[in-house]
Amino acid sequence: MKKLLQSLFIMLLVAATAIAQDRTVTGTVKAKEDGLPLPGVSVLVKGAKVGTQTGADGKFTIKLAQGQNALTFSFVGFVSQTVNVANATNLNVSLVSDAQQLSEVVVVGYGTVSKKDLTGSVASIGGDKVKDMPVQSFDQALSGRAAGVNITIPNGVVNNPPVIRVRGVNSISLSSFPLVVIDGVPTFSGDFGNGNVANNVLGDINPADIESVEVLKDAAAAAIYGSRAAAGVLLITTKKGKQGQTKVSYDTWMGFTNPFNLVDVMDGRQFETVKNEALVNAGTPPDGTTRGFYPYLDNNGNPTNTNWYDVVYRTGSSQNHNLSVSGANDKTNYYFSAGYSKQQGMIRMNDFKRLNATMNLDHKVNKTITVGGKFQYANSDNQGVNSGSVPGGAFASSGIARLGFALAPNVPVFLNNGDYNINTVSNIIGGGANKTAVTFTNPQLLLDRNLFTSLTERTIANVYANVNIVDGLTFRTTYGIDHLNTVNKAFQNALHGDGVANGGSAFNSISTLNRTNWTNVLNYMKSFGSHNLSALVGNEQQYTTSEGWGANRQGVTDPFYDEFQGGFNTIVPFGNSLGENYLTSFFGRVNYDYKKKYLLSLNGRRDGYSAFSPDNKWGNFWGASAGWVVSQEDFFTKAGLDKVFSNLKVRGSYGIVGNNQGINDFAFWSFFSSGLYGAAPTLGYSQAGNRNLQWETSKKTDIGLEMGFLNGRINFEATYYNNNIDNLILDEPQAPSKGIPGNSILQNVGSMNNRGFEFTLNASIIRNSNFSWNSNFNITTLKNEVTSLAAGGADIQIATSGLERPSMIRVGQSIGSFYAVRTGGVNPANGQRIFFYRDGTAVQYNHAAPAASRWTLVATGAVAPRVADQANDGVIIGPALPTWTGGWENTFRYKNFDLNMLFFFSGGNYVYNGTKAGLRDMRVWNNSTEVFNNRWQKPGDITNIPRVVFGDNISNGSGVVISENVEKGDFLKLRNVTLGYTLPKSVLSKVGISSLRVYAQAMNAFTLTNYTGFDPEISSNGNINGAPSVDRNSVPQARSFNFGINVGF
Amino acid sequence: MKIKILSLLLVASVFVACNKEKLEPIPQTSLSEAVAFSDEARCLQQVNGVYTQLKAGQLYAGRYQVYQDVRGEEFINETNNAVTAWLTWQHNLTASANEVQSFWSSAYATINRANVVIDGISKSPISAASKAQFIAEAKFVRATAYFMLLQMYARPFTDGAGNKLGVVLRLTPQTSSGDDNKARSTVAEVYTQIVKDLNEAEADLPANYADATLRVTRAHKSTAIALKTRVYLNMAQYGNVITEANKLVPNAAPWTSSMAPANALNASIATVFTNYTNSEVIFSMPFTALNTPGTQNGLGWYYNPGPNGGGEFTVNTTNGIAANAGWTAQDARRSFLVVSSGKTYLRKWPNPNNAADWNPVIRYAEVMLNLAEALARNAQGTTVDTRALAILNAIRKRSDANIADFAPATKDELVNLILTERRIELLGEGFRTSDITRTGSSFPAKGTVAAIAPAANQYVWPISIAELLVNKLCEQNTGY
Repeated sequence: MKKLLQSLFIMLLVAATAIAQDRTVTGTVKAKEDGLPLPGVSVLVKGAKVGTQTGADGKFTIKLAQGQNALTFSFVGFVSQTVNVANATNLNVSLVSDAQQLSEVVVVGYGTVSKKDLTGSVASIGGDKVKDMPVQSFDQALSGRAAGVNITIPNGVVNNPPVIRVRGVNSISLSSFPLVVIDGVPTFSGDFGNGNVANNVLGDINPADIESVEVLKDAAAAAIYGSRAAAGVLLITTKKGKQGQTKVSYDTWMGFTNPFNLVDVMDGRQFETVKNEALVNAGTPPDGTTRGFYPYLDNNGNPTNTNWYDVVYRTGSSQNHNLSVSGANDKTNYYFSAGYSKQQGMIRMNDFKRLNATMNLDHKVNKTITVGGKFQYANSDNQGVNSGSVPGGAFASSGIARLGFALAPNVPVFLNNGDYNINTVSNIIGGGANKTAVTFTNPQLLLDRNLFTSLTERTIANVYANVNIVDGLTFRTTYGIDHLNTVNKAFQNALHGDGVANGGSAFNSISTLNRTNWTNVLNYMKSFGSHNLSALVGNEQQYTTSEGWGANRQGVTDPFYDEFQGGFNTIVPFGNSLGENYLTSFFGRVNYDYKKKYLLSLNGRRDGYSAFSPDNKWGNFWGASAGWVVSQEDFFTKAGLDKVFSNLKVRGSYGIVGNNQGINDFAFWSFFSSGLYGAAPTLGYSQAGNRNLQWETSKKTDIGLEMGFLNGRINFEATYYNNNIDNLILDEPQAPSKGIPGNSILQNVGSMNNRGFEFTLNASIIRNSNFSWNSNFNITTLKNEVTSLAAGGADIQIATSGLERPSMIRVGQSIGSFYAVRTGGVNPANGQRIFFYRDGTAVQYNHAAPAASRWTLVATGAVAPRVADQANDGVIIGPALPTWTGGWENTFRYKNFDLNMLFFFSGGNYVYNGTKAGLRDMRVWNNSTEVFNNRWQKPGDITNIPRVVFGDNISNGSGVVISENVEKGDFLKLRNVTLGYTLPKSVLSKVGISSLRVYAQAMNAFTLTNYTGFDPEISSNGNINGAPSVDRNSVPQARSFNFGINVGF
Repeated sequence: MKIKILSLLLVASVFVACNKEKLEPIPQTSLSEAVAFSDEARCLQQVNGVYTQLKAGQLYAGRYQVYQDVRGEEFINETNNAVTAWLTWQHNLTASANEVQSFWSSAYATINRANVVIDGISKSPISAASKAQFIAEAKFVRATAYFMLLQMYARPFTDGAGNKLGVVLRLTPQTSSGDDNKARSTVAEVYTQIVKDLNEAEADLPANYADATLRVTRAHKSTAIALKTRVYLNMAQYGNVITEANKLVPNAAPWTSSMAPANALNASIATVFTNYTNSEVIFSMPFTALNTPGTQNGLGWYYNPGPNGGGEFTVNTTNGIAANAGWTAQDARRSFLVVSSGKTYLRKWPNPNNAADWNPVIRYAEVMLNLAEALARNAQGTTVDTRALAILNAIRKRSDANIADFAPATKDELVNLILTERRIELLGEGFRTSDITRTGSSFPAKGTVAAIAPAANQYVWPISIAELLVNKLCEQNTGY
């Protein structure tokens, strides 16, 4: 409306002054914001085809014929401006940057769309949100930023992949991690580390290179990605040059990181008190010769008091540098960047180092053809010791996290003679003066002598050509390559820890993944009066090969060697793998709108995938959506509602997308694999295939309401979503007595539902020239329900690291709900933990009694008919998946200061605090100080810590999953707070700097929660779908403090 | 214009693009079921695949023997590690314990492999003779696996003549879903199947192999017979033990089998464990640097002190067999007990995991002891069976040449001497649980662990929770 008035006004002026003669006009075009001249601005005489461009100094000269009175200045990234020349011969024009308009364009599959015309559900996150964050990979920085996108950081192991869930868990046995597409090419994601250190290959992307991240959430937005879109899609767009002068930016930050919220453990004397008491209670009192706990005395005769946290953790320091050069003119657009990041984790030896370079180039060959491409290279080096904190590692006997809290504090790191304190006979830490054998390994020696590294070299490149065939019809072909080379190395010393079994061993393996993706899209856009139409059809072929090989050398011949190439006795194969898969697809989309009021979008895709049997290779997926922009209606403006609402839109979508992400390349085959029997070759039944296996499908419904108030100062969006996933590809458990390899067969059985609401509120609350306050709040609710499983609805229990099974997948429950034996505190009369049979019968456990009479009935004291265990007595305690999550971001600006605070919150769920079972375990493990302070000691004591009995691993949940260790998981975390100061231009211009900002930042500054463990956000099982919110022997989150500088030249 | 035409062509060409060959890749590192039994060489590999599954970490790579022995009183746990048999040692297992689930799965994986191979080979185009032999070998392994399962999960045959719940009996190949629900057969039914498999195996197995390694790593007629002596002993069918053992053990010294491959009592006990193919070994599990027992599985790992082992268990010198005064200091078998840092370790398998010593599964000495016990028990009244006594003395004097012969006064005394001799001779080889349960004895107390009486629920393991979750007809053992 405004524009219409503006042009009307200009037309009137033009008419009024149309009497001038031929003349020359000169002038300068500058950017309004910084006053700098703009080169390459196109200057057109209105109503004629004559035109010119501004020079490097922003100056132009143009001839106007008689009757020509207006010039139009246009430049990408700026609002076009038509200036009435009148009689002037010299013009000074200031162009206003079009940032507002740009941000309203969102990237969608195979194209972009104006936010106003969007009928699907897409969250858009600007690159500035991830650029300066002290993270290894950009995805870690997205936590709390967008509704419907729940991102949690499993712990403080550097470069551990975050858990990303778009609108709930969308698969059971396949991946629920969204598809990640970088500049149009689907990329590899996941952890490529060696099970000891993490290596999230999304860490290969320099966060500073990212222009925007779009998350496609519903079928309307995602179905164009067909079979890979069930868990949503992350579209990463990297930066391009912006028109104007060459821009040089240097961004750096440095800081430190350390653990926080560590649970206090007993010191040496408390340890001796509790463990000796436990021996007495067990009926085997300390005797000074064969049993008992006694302090090791140092050279000065003082009893040892080792804080193993200090041995395991450190304050790590980090630095990050990024330099970019970018710019563009009418024909060419370029962006070059180089980055270096060196980040030490809070665990000793756990480091991340990345070197990377990026080039983006686009060139307009002529009016019809544009070519371009990009090249991203990264070298990421992850190293550390066995963290015991990545999926599968929770019970690693040398996992450093558990060593931090479970080791006896009354034995030293080093003996008085300076030797490592180790027991080489039993491959455990030396017992010092203790008479009862202690357990676990000495982390100091592991830190000094063992090393695990995971190094990736990554090349992501693409080239494209865009051809304007006829007006409105364009063809784009893109060829992309993603090459991921990972070298994993491990050295385990022969003296102590896991390396002992094989006399010291070195593992080296290499894995190479190579993907080519060729996408061809024909796009048509045309407006017919009030009807606007855009359509595309395309073909995509993606071919991926993977190969891995390596060796394990064992029996180190001299303690000097700590590299694979040193001297060893034997060598065995390790890390062999070979795979390939191919996805070929045909897709199309039609967008139509009438007067931008009524919006309609249809998309469809047909996918063929190699992993399915010939009968089931192809799947069809589609999405349809419609929108109604009510605020464009005449009645709306007539009623004066436009004075309240700047935007009012309702939209809805429905569609079917598929999932094949994470399926084995040869999933449908039945196999026999080779092995050895002594020296004889063998074949053995190794995979029970299923030729009927086909696509998982997800039926997604999305209904949204968008409202803008006060001319866009306040925006509100509410969405209801419902994902019905059926045909789930499930590792259907088989009765182990059938002897099927892995005791499971992949089947299309089971269904699951995720539904909930998303609310987003953006408000520019205060907007003065000196002070502004922007607030962005989002919250998402989630109700996940498993609606059917294999025939008979058999339960599936998911093990954490192969041992403990607190997570249950059961029909009618949220996936991975906690399944535990209920406990009822400690019997004040005798200090025994009370457990409940499923029928409610209360029994109690006394580890001091003979095995046959440890379980007694609380009511009578008689021997109980059986033990209390998960199989008989487990009940669902509650959901493990958060039922609400969200973020609240506030940005304040006062003059040159800026302050940004991002809160992340999550809750409604339970967390299994398995670590607590360990912290209260009555073997020789150290305990939390609450055990010392609160343990039951005499009849009448009211406490939740049972009477200590040596060797008791039942009462506190090590041997049986108990409800005592299932806790509420609600929390609020200040994920990020940044305080910045931008130096005034008047100061900077004198030294030739165009902008300079300094800032201080804290990540994970604090957590508000009632959870008693390290951190309710911990996820020992990472991205494993069926076992969320398990906290088992994991390191906590890291807290980082940083100082940074952004400089622009 | 040219470019426009070109691009249109390009458009046309790529839109039909779909690479059929890439859409149907063939795996390069495994054989599909269609070709897995296509010739003699592959069938042989399949049979070896059945044996190697019997050698899985949970089974004869070491854990079966460890579970058998540490439930008894001979060993003391040193590491309190729940994944290395600590719970088994303490009789403190639940249905979800690691060993309870993993042992069950591994044994049935072996049984299914045998079933798949029996089925696959019977349909293969190989010679009838090879077919018969290979199937016999698979049946031998299947019988072994069922026997192992019964020892852990079921009450002994001697408790009610096998009328208690045994394990789930599966004899047909399982390669697809469904058929999960199957009730446990009785102990007697499972034993009947074991005997049937072994009888059929004996009929079709070769008499011998020319190659020394094959002779001890693959079953021949003597192997099946030897295992039958063990099976019948556990069924307390002493007459059958004698019938089978008589095929292998002569009436008097020299103690050499008349059947091929002429198994015999090795002159020196020390070399029984170092010379893997000596004539005393009837059946053994081979290891190489490329085919190891696996992490925390091997016997060497459990019983050796570092650096070659994990020192998981030490010998119980308080009330284990090591404390038996009758086991003299000069007995060569005492040399397997080695003191390190004040604790006593069993060193029958001294080498580290990546050079693991072979695990003997059946030794001629065991067959002799099985026979001796059967003869002794089968004797009339309180008669002391002279052949049984001769065998007992032969076993003992092999390791302690100068000791006086045993001279038991009664049959019971002789039986007890034989049972004690088994503890000495077979220490660490995986017999203790069976010897306790088949005789209806209690598991004695040890260290901090109290005794378990035969009536106690802990007398047998619980059934794996993973089975119970899926197999709705499978019943749990009492008390779990």
